[in-house]
Amino acid sequence: MNIKDLLFKLSKLDAAGNVTSASDFAYGILSKYTTAEKTQGLTVIGFLDGKNDYTLMLDAHIDQIAMVVTDIDDNGFLTVSNAGGIDIRTLPAREVIVHGKSDISAVFCSTPPHLAKGDAEYNDIADIKLDTALGSKAKEIISVGDIVTLSGNPYDLQNNLVCGKSFDDRAGVACLLMLAQKLSGKKLPINVAFVLSDGEELGLRGIRPAAFRVNPQEAIAIDVSFGDGIGISDTECGKLNKGAMIGISPSLSKEISNKLKFIAKESDIPYQLEVMGAKTGTNADMIAVNREGVKTCTLSIPLRNMHSDSEILSLSDLESVCDLLYEYIMAGGCFNG
Amino acid sequence: MVDLLQNLCLLNGTSGDEKSVRDFIISEIKGFCDCEIDNLGNLICFKKGEKTPKNRLMLDAHMDEVGVIITSVTSDGFLKFETVGGIDAATLMFKKVKIGDTVGVISAKPIHLLSKEEGKKAPKTDSLYIDIGATDKENALDLVNLGDTGVVLSDFTVMGDCVKAKALDDRVGCAVLIALLKEKAEYDFYAVFSTQEEIGTRGARVATFAVNPDYALVLEATTAADIAGVLNDKSVCNLGNGPAVSFMDRATLYDKELYNTALNSGITCQPKRAVAGGNNSGAIHLSREGVKTLAISLPCRYIHTDSSVANLGDIENMLNLTKYMMGSILKDD
Repeated sequence: MNIKDLLFKLSKLDAAGNVTSASDFAYGILSKYTTAEKTQGLTVIGFLDGKNDYTLMLDAHIDQIAMVVTDIDDNGFLTVSNAGGIDIRTLPAREVIVHGKSDISAVFCSTPPHLAKGDAEYNDIADIKLDTALGSKAKEIISVGDIVTLSGNPYDLQNNLVCGKSFDDRAGVACLLMLAQKLSGKKLPINVAFVLSDGEELGLRGIRPAAFRVNPQEAIAIDVSFGDGIGISDTECGKLNKGAMIGISPSLSKEISNKLKFIAKESDIPYQLEVMGAKTGTNADMIAVNREGVKTCTLSIPLRNMHSDSEILSLSDLESVCDLLYEYIMAGGCFNG
Repeated sequence: MVDLLQNLCLLNGTSGDEKSVRDFIISEIKGFCDCEIDNLGNLICFKKGEKTPKNRLMLDAHMDEVGVIITSVTSDGFLKFETVGGIDAATLMFKKVKIGDTVGVISAKPIHLLSKEEGKKAPKTDSLYIDIGATDKENALDLVNLGDTGVVLSDFTVMGDCVKAKALDDRVGCAVLIALLKEKAEYDFYAVFSTQEEIGTRGARVATFAVNPDYALVLEATTAADIAGVLNDKSVCNLGNGPAVSFMDRATLYDKELYNTALNSGITCQPKRAVAGGNNSGAIHLSREGVKTLAISLPCRYIHTDSSVANLGDIENMLNLTKYMMGSILKDD
C-alpha cells in the first residue's frame, strides 16, 4: 500500500473507546514488520531491534475525537456528550455513526426552516439531538455509553491535498506504518519502538502507560498541527505542501530539534519549524516526563479543519515525515555511543 | 423504487443546472411516453392512456435542488459562494462539495481563533469559503469558473425504515413520476419534470402555460419537524403517517375538493398542519384562467440539507395516493 491508500483506509476505520477497527487494522500491518503487541486500550506497540541498547520511541495516536451516548428517548433521538474537542456548530444536519449492537447511521437535528429564528447559537452539545430514525426500536440497538463517530469517505483535492475524517492522527499512524515497512529487515543502529497510542484526545492519557512500558531514551511524537487555512495568518500556522514541521520549545529537546533540522537540510527533505512557547499540546508533553525523563521532540503535519470530518492535509508532507524519520533513524538519532 | 430514488438523489442538479437529472430521466422513460424539452429546460411528457379523459391533468415534480454558486475567488485561491435556494448556512460548515468534477471543503476560520462569543454562533454564508486545495487565484480559476454551481456531497444511506440523502426534495417526486410513466395508463396525462423551483417556481410557470391543464397534482417534499424538542403543534407532519396534503401554504390556497378527496381516499396520508413554505403549486394554480391544484408531499426531516431523512413507506403511499387522485380526477362521470 502507498501512503495515500494507507491513510484513506485508516481514515474510514474508527478507534475510540471500545471501537477498535482502526487499531486492529494497524496491529495487522505492524505485526508484519515488527514484533508487535496490543497493550492497554487501543494502544499498539511494535519493536524493531538495533545494534545498540538505545531506544527511540516514535508515537502517533490511534484514537480519534468521538462522542458518547448519554440518553435515548422513546422516539429514537439521542443525547450525546463529546469525547474530545468537537466544534458543536458543525453538528446540525451532519451524518455520524453510532456504534451500538450494530453500526447505525444517524443525523444531528437541524432547525426546521419554519422554526428558524435569526442567528442560531449553540451553547451545549446536549441541546443538539441525534436522530436515528429508528423510533422506539433505537433502545434495542443502542445503549447509553455507546460511541458515536464522524463518518464519510476521504476525497482527493487539488495539488496533492486530500480531505477526510480522523486524519488527526491517522496521518501520523500512516507515516509510522510506512516507516516500519521501510525499516523492516534493515540493520538499524538503535532500537525503534512504534507506539500507536490510545486516549490522546481525552487528555494525553494513553501515552503514559505506553511510554512507561517502552522506557525509551529518546522520543518523537508525530501529530497534526494547524495548517494555513481560512482566517489564519501566515505567522501562526504551518503551510501545507511545505514539509514536516520540526518542533522547537522549552519543553522539547533542542538536541533532537537541531539534529532533525541538520538531517533535513543534508538530505534535501522539505521542512518547516514550529516554535511553541511552552508545552506542545501533544503526547510529547507526557513522554518527556516519563519515568526518569526522556529527550523528546515533535514532528507535525500541517492540517486544516482540525477535528472535523473534512480535515485537509498534503500527501507530500507525509512523505517528508517518513523520509526525515528514516534518515534520522539510520543516522542513529541522538545516540552518542 | 429505492434504487431509482438513490440514482436520482446522487445526481447533481442545482437550479439552472438540471441537465444531468433530465438526461437520466429521459433514459428511464424513453419509449414509455412522448417528451420534449422547452426553453427553460423543463421536460414535458405526454403519456397516452387507453382513454382520453374530459379533463386535462398535469403532474409536476421539480428536478432542481438547492446548492451553491461560485461568485469570486480570493487571492489565496479560496472560493466565495452564494447559496442557490434556501440553505441554512449553519448546516454547511466543513461539508464536502462537488463543483463539476472538483471536490472542495466548505471551510471557515477555526474555532480556536474565535472569541468565546463568536465560537457559539452559527457561521453565516459570507464567512464561509470553499477550499479545493488551489495554491492561488490563478490556479483556482484553472479548475473552476465563476458561475459554476455545486452541491454538498452526501451518501444515500438507508436507516431502518427511513432513508437519508441529499435532494430528496424533489427527486422523490421525480421517482414517483417516472414510476407512473412506466406503467400502463388508463387515461392520458401530462407529466412535467420542472426546473428552477428552488429559486422561485420559475420552470413550472411556463410549463403549465404550455400544457394548459384543468387539474394539477404537484409531487413534492415538505418539512417534517417531528423531531426532539419540537412540540406536536409545530411538527407540521410526521414520518410514517403517509404523504402530507396541503390545504394552504404561503403560495397557494389549494382546491378543497381535491384536498378532501385525498384525505378520504383510505390511503394512509395526513394533512400538512401548518401554513408554511410553498412549492410549484403557487405558479401552477394561477396559470392562464386557473388550475385546480393539490400538492402531495413527502414528509422530510432536515429538508434543504444534505442529510434529509424520509420514510420509505411514505414514498409508497405517495405513489398510491397519486394514482388514486389521478383516477378520481380523470374518471368518466
